[in-house]
Amino acid sequence: MSDASPSLVRKYSGGAGAGPRSGPLILRPDVLIFLITLAALTIGATFLAEAGLISTAFVKTLGKTLCLCLAALAMDLVWGYTGILSLGHFAFFGIGGYAIGMWLMWDRTEGIVLDTLSRGPLPPTALEIEEQIGTQIFGVVGSSEVPWLWAFAGSLPIQLAFAVLVPGLIALIFGWLAFRSRVAGVYLSILTQAGTLALSLWLFQNDSGLRGNNGLSGLQNIPGLTDVPQSTLSLWFLWASAAALALAYLAAAWMVSGRFGSVLRGIRDDEARVRFLGYEVEHYKLAIFTVTAMACGIAGALYYPQAGIVNPAEIAPIASIYLAVWVAIGGRGRLYGAVIGAAVVSLASSWFTGGGAPDIELGFYTIQWTDWWLVLLGLSFVLVTLFAPKGLGGLVDLYTDRRAAKRNADLGPDAGALRKEEDA
Amino acid sequence: MKTYLPLLCTTLSIAAAPAFAQDCPVKVGVLHSLSGTMAISETTLKDTVEMLVDIQNENGGLLGCEVEAVVVDPASDWPLFAEKARELLTVEEVDVIFGSWTSVSRKSALPVLEELNGLMFYPVQYEGEESSKNVFYTGAAPNQQAIPAVDYFLEELGVERFALLGTDYVYPRTTNNILEAYLKSKGVAEEDIFVNYTPFGHSDWATIVGDVVEMSEDGRQVGVISTINGDANIGFYKELAAAEISADDIPVVAFSVGEEELSGLDTSNLVGHLAAWNYFQSAETEANEDFVAAWKARMGEDRVTNDPMEAHYIGFNMWVNAVTEAGTTDVDAVREAMYGQEFPNLTGGTAVMLPNHHLAKPVLIGEITEDGQFDIISQTSEVPGDAWTDHLVESAKLISDWPGKGCGMWNTETESCVQIQSNY
Amino acid sequence: MTLIRLIAALCLLALPVTAQEGAVQTVLQTHAADIAEPSRRTIQPVLDDLAASGLPAMPAFLEAWADRGVVQRDADGLFFFGERDGDVYILRSIEDGSDAGTVGRRDADQLRPNAGVRRLIATALVQFQLNDPDPDRRRAALDALTRNPTPDLLAPLRASIEGEEDRAIRQRKEALDRLITIRFGEDRTTRLAAIFWMADQVSLEARAALNAVLTTDTFVGQPPEDANVARSLQVGTDITPDQALALLAAEGILPEDVTRADRDAALVAAIDGDSVAGVPVSSLNTEDARWAAYATLAENGAARPRPPVNAVEILLAANPIVEIYDEPDAAITAAAAEALTQVEARVARAQAADLGLDALSLASIYFLAAIGLAITFGVMGVINMAHGEFIMIGAYTGYVVQLFVPDYTLSLIIALPLAFCTAAAAGVALERLVIRHLAHRPLETLLATFGISVALQQIFKNIFGTQAVPLTSPDWLAGAWTLNDVVGISYIRIAIFILALLFLALLVYILRRTRLGLEVRAVTQNPGMAASLGIDPDRVGMATFALGSGIAGVAGVAIGLFAQVTSEMGASYIVQSFMTVVVGGVGSVFGTLAGAGLIGGLQKGIEWLNPSNTLAAQTYMILFIILFIQFRPRGIVAQKGRFAQ
Repeated sequence: MSDASPSLVRKYSGGAGAGPRSGPLILRPDVLIFLITLAALTIGATFLAEAGLISTAFVKTLGKTLCLCLAALAMDLVWGYTGILSLGHFAFFGIGGYAIGMWLMWDRTEGIVLDTLSRGPLPPTALEIEEQIGTQIFGVVGSSEVPWLWAFAGSLPIQLAFAVLVPGLIALIFGWLAFRSRVAGVYLSILTQAGTLALSLWLFQNDSGLRGNNGLSGLQNIPGLTDVPQSTLSLWFLWASAAALALAYLAAAWMVSGRFGSVLRGIRDDEARVRFLGYEVEHYKLAIFTVTAMACGIAGALYYPQAGIVNPAEIAPIASIYLAVWVAIGGRGRLYGAVIGAAVVSLASSWFTGGGAPDIELGFYTIQWTDWWLVLLGLSFVLVTLFAPKGLGGLVDLYTDRRAAKRNADLGPDAGALRKEEDA
Repeated sequence: MKTYLPLLCTTLSIAAAPAFAQDCPVKVGVLHSLSGTMAISETTLKDTVEMLVDIQNENGGLLGCEVEAVVVDPASDWPLFAEKARELLTVEEVDVIFGSWTSVSRKSALPVLEELNGLMFYPVQYEGEESSKNVFYTGAAPNQQAIPAVDYFLEELGVERFALLGTDYVYPRTTNNILEAYLKSKGVAEEDIFVNYTPFGHSDWATIVGDVVEMSEDGRQVGVISTINGDANIGFYKELAAAEISADDIPVVAFSVGEEELSGLDTSNLVGHLAAWNYFQSAETEANEDFVAAWKARMGEDRVTNDPMEAHYIGFNMWVNAVTEAGTTDVDAVREAMYGQEFPNLTGGTAVMLPNHHLAKPVLIGEITEDGQFDIISQTSEVPGDAWTDHLVESAKLISDWPGKGCGMWNTETESCVQIQSNY
Repeated sequence: MTLIRLIAALCLLALPVTAQEGAVQTVLQTHAADIAEPSRRTIQPVLDDLAASGLPAMPAFLEAWADRGVVQRDADGLFFFGERDGDVYILRSIEDGSDAGTVGRRDADQLRPNAGVRRLIATALVQFQLNDPDPDRRRAALDALTRNPTPDLLAPLRASIEGEEDRAIRQRKEALDRLITIRFGEDRTTRLAAIFWMADQVSLEARAALNAVLTTDTFVGQPPEDANVARSLQVGTDITPDQALALLAAEGILPEDVTRADRDAALVAAIDGDSVAGVPVSSLNTEDARWAAYATLAENGAARPRPPVNAVEILLAANPIVEIYDEPDAAITAAAAEALTQVEARVARAQAADLGLDALSLASIYFLAAIGLAITFGVMGVINMAHGEFIMIGAYTGYVVQLFVPDYTLSLIIALPLAFCTAAAAGVALERLVIRHLAHRPLETLLATFGISVALQQIFKNIFGTQAVPLTSPDWLAGAWTLNDVVGISYIRIAIFILALLFLALLVYILRRTRLGLEVRAVTQNPGMAASLGIDPDRVGMATFALGSGIAGVAGVAIGLFAQVTSEMGASYIVQSFMTVVVGGVGSVFGTLAGAGLIGGLQKGIEWLNPSNTLAAQTYMILFIILFIQFRPRGIVAQKGRFAQ
């Protein structure tokens, strides 16, 4: 990874996303179009919100969607580009949320506690403050002791670091164990899914010290910013999410355009061949697995202060599968595909379940979308896998193919795994 | 004061009629999950509110306006409760919300309600330890369900050893903590209390039932206090029946099993086991018979009524009366008018809204019958709901008194308000 | 004249009352309030009185009362046998059961004694029922006596043994006689004999009787001379220092410790301007500073001093803590303790056996859920995330059959093959429509079948509702096989175990002995070669998939019989099922068996270590499995060949 310097990027940039093979990354059409669209959306949303045309609730939805897009981007790197179908990346997203949530809860509660205690006749002692915070936070779940996990909850820098490092560390250990044992393919998928299940079951327990099923709530109240109305806060978070997504997109585009990206695609298409070429396949896999886990942690840390609550249900295995679903529907192996998929499916999901879609009257039966949306989603997913492996991103190809000259044209993203042809 | 308060209100409302001019229609938000795991319980409550709204409109509406129910679907997804609550309050601009089932969904919506000064009626029995300015709790607090049931075990059944079985989430955890403290205060030794927590939807009950049976080895009467939630009850009761444990051998009292839950079971082997609620469908009063008849006429003959439905029935009618009294749907005015509101229970007696936002309601204990109903064998007089339990050291010194002290978390030792907002 | 008319009128008035008020009614009316609203705490004297009345109709009343067959008429407070019929109660006389008209349901109250009262009524009935010609009644009497052994009934029980002709009942009577004798017998020899007899038992009643003799009280200080001391408690080994402290404090021997709250209250009370005990208030922001200030206060006599650090040891030396038996006779308690030790050793072995049975049962459930997967995933290498939904389809098939066939036995006989066919059909459809087109793209197969799984779950939710539906087992599967009071397992679980064995045998037979099995093995090992030998891989794939899915359907019926049937039931088994197959070793049916055994045993083992938290057991089990796979990726039964990676 360290040798993927800009000069090498140019040298080994075969098979990158659609676009010319030279020039600064930021000027590549897909990157440029993406960044402009994102900026337009953010600025547009800001003006509309200031003008009162869209509600704070919708701004929050937009901000959250951008965070989901960031997670999908990470998922695309690990699955779409490297071929590792991790069914556990949403767990990293959740861990990021928990890490930041601990600080949010602690700091807010500490303010309340200090305020109360300062009104007493004696100046508060450190022990009293900790006990009171414990009672306030854990009284809800029938305990008052502060678990060891919360040792650094009072420090924002440490918890922010945790939001990135804990997912990274877990991914590193898990990945090292798994890749070292050559666990791959569906076995790895099932293993990551089991790991996610174990994590969510562990979080579900009250004894784990993270408030069990209740999780951490009231996260939309940012300590120190209590005077800022939610309508403003939601915009700040929208910008932060947009900025994070933009940076992540640039980083991802840079990563997949160099030799590193070529090796990743090589691993996806034929791991054994890459290994025989002398590459340390395990190191590449471990690197991408860890980096994307950290990216998911960042996305989670931005998402949950907007959602207001993080709890174990968020981390359930199904959430990680949905992440894969978004990437597949959007189009694997292309960065904008993941973003489109996450945005389209999660927004459609909230539109359909929110009662926004009109019911369909069939005469003998009325299709209510709150009931049938999941059926539609499940089936559309099957259809996409069967008939449109390129997903929604394939629509872009229809346009670019027509525009691009036939000769010298970029091969474009690979359409699914190539093993099919090789095995036959 | 009390005597001329209504008069005063009337005068005020006449005098200030132009200022309080009501925006028609009066909007009632319904925040119950219509999809996902909680849909089965919560859809019933949505239907109940719609029925109550229709009845109100037949009786001439409210403040000369039509009442309109605005239904949204938070889809059993806890963060969505915050999002949808914000939508209801800012986009739909509803005057009141009836909603939530699980504690975590309430905790999710709380910050939004408090930020935007909304008003919510929460209809389900819960663990207490909360009193928000913006929520009226029409379900039972632990002292209105759990403590009387334990008293019944101690007094009437002579139970000396207790098995507290629960699903691992906040309601069983807190309730069991309170019960443990209460039992110890009644002279039950620590080793005579067995506590077990199982995951949601647990199905492998053989070992746990075996452990409970083992408890009777020292010849003293064993009783089970079950806070097992939802589907898991089915496996539990099936295992009890298979082990041929009758209610005479080891009685089980459940706090989360009502008429709805029993409809998934063959109850012939469960006859005699108990449940404690504030309402049973079998209550023989005329008001209840009318209510049940109206429900069945609307929803179908095989539908049953249950405790949270009665809570909404009382809550809705109290709100209607409070609005009429205040002459406006303004939240602050309605809240003032809510205190001391009285409304007849469906089981007889009168429910009163207390300054701590809880109700005074009678506690009923019923034995399961062959037809999946409950035979009421014990009915207390009205028990005032206690927001902060007297049986845990940290909570014993707290009270809630909104009209008097303007605080939901008042420390009686230091005579100061711990915090105005709630613990999330 | 007027006098006569007056008398006549009085007679007329009195007539209905005298006609109604028989002997039983008269007795009942003296306790009317207690009978109408009975409480366990207060009803015993009333029951004694009723039983002592000696009226022949009294047992019938007591039985009816306990069965909620008695109503009280609001108008006059009289009691009747009453049966609800629509909006009225049909009344019969409490004396002789003769017809007594009807009363509207609002004008009478059905008496509903609670379970505690019913137990006392049952005990009161024992003396009438011990010699009843109906064996069921005699058994009911023995049940009541077992639940509530009372010394008074020892004599009637002994008297009834002689005339008992039913052998089983007679044995129970004799056993019960001994149980009651242990606790309430008068002379030492019979009690000792009974205790020795108990030493061979493991039953709950035996342990209950022995434990009842061995109840103790904790006593602080020098025990009285004649006390039957069980043991003296050592701090550190028998009780914790805190418990000892609490016991001493409860006796008033130890001055109560100064808590932090006491300290702060004393400090606040002593605030003088800006300082407490010579220290500025603002400096009291550490615990040490506060304790120091408190010590100053205590020295000045302004507060209660803290007890010395070693107070507990000093006081315990002077006041030993002992446990004293409630039973005064040391010989009896020694014998009982000895017997109980023997019993408990046997119980411990039985408990281990019971845990083994539970583990076996859980393993067979996991095996049944996973065995279909062992074929489709293990043998054919097809990832089917919708496998759990085939389990669900089977369970719902069972439910639908029960809707149409009310007889549970017959419906089960229909449901099992039907569930197989339905699930197999669904499996074939899935294979033909989706999986076949994704051959050799396992990750995409995984996701596509996951989409199917989501859709199927929601479709079933839309059709059947989110509420669990009942799937009831036939009567002959109700109940449990019990070796003794410790070792037991429900018949349903035994049936599932047998079912699992059957399918294991069937699969092994099909794979090893039939042409289909041969073809399956050929196709999985080398599809190209197999095809060139004239085997149609598509046909083989379909047949195998049908078999695997069909078994999942049958598993669904079995699981539904002991647990809940919901649209999510399959999802809760899918991860475990895949783990079972992977842990056992992909490609081997016996591997799946080993995997199921390992996971079932492991889960029960962890549960046994931490019985109060089942969730933790599941978490740690999954973590263990993940680690296990890291170090042994091919599973327990490692397979060589194409699918071994």
